[in-house]
Amino acid sequence: MMLEDELTVSTRECDGVAIIDLSGDVTTFAEEKINNAYHEVTSKGARHVLLNFRQNDYINSAGIAILIGIVTEVTRNEQKLAVSGLSPHFQKIFRMVGLAQYAEIYQDEEEALAAFKRQA
Amino acid sequence: MSGETPPRDPVERVIELRLPSKLGYERVAMDTASSLARRMGFQPDRVESLKTAVSEAVTNAIEHGNEHDAAMKVVVLLTARAGELIVDVADQGRKPFDHNQTIRRPVIEEVLEQDDKGGWGIWLIRELMDEVEFSTAPSGGNQIRMVIHLEQ
Repeated sequence: MMLEDELTVSTRECDGVAIIDLSGDVTTFAEEKINNAYHEVTSKGARHVLLNFRQNDYINSAGIAILIGIVTEVTRNEQKLAVSGLSPHFQKIFRMVGLAQYAEIYQDEEEALAAFKRQA
Repeated sequence: MSGETPPRDPVERVIELRLPSKLGYERVAMDTASSLARRMGFQPDRVESLKTAVSEAVTNAIEHGNEHDAAMKVVVLLTARAGELIVDVADQGRKPFDHNQTIRRPVIEEVLEQDDKGGWGIWLIRELMDEVEFSTAPSGGNQIRMVIHLEQ
């Protein structure tokens, strides 16, 4: 039974923004994949990072802890972080936890890219 | 807990799950709770809140209460009552609840400075459910009772 690992992470670049696509569940099993993707785009010099969720229906507190770890690194590396594609429930959770103070929340990738463009 | 024992719910309204203490099995509890809540008429946003609370409670039981020993069970009772759904999650209590953990509100500014970025689970449960109660079973295990009301 595949109960552990149901996350696909990939990276791409668009309009100077490093996009990390996260499709699946964000739990404790996601740590290495998400951190590796972040380190990959950072080593290529990414200034703007977008975590693009795909309406993921399971993000738990261990997943939130991983994302807070990314926020710490983004601050240290003086990058700008945004998130998109979260379901309304997880947008609410991100706001409750306080992640929204560190990563602007956008409905979708297009909205996030447009916002990054305005800031550039 | 003391006083009179409340009347037992009719068996046909109680669903019992016995899950191995292995991460991933919390999904089975989430899916079952979600399915039941939808059939009871809970709105989609409330079902989402319930799923998060159930997953956090079961994950806690697996990781802390039963310390990942797959042979130990996490018992989840879902009781459908008129107007509310009650979810009881019990572990076999290798490690009792830390009372401070059950009342603490993490602050992200502080968490960002710490190595351990976790500790959000119980706080999320309290925020998302209408009633939350922690107790110790006579056998020594940890129990958490969460109630979500239908009218909200």
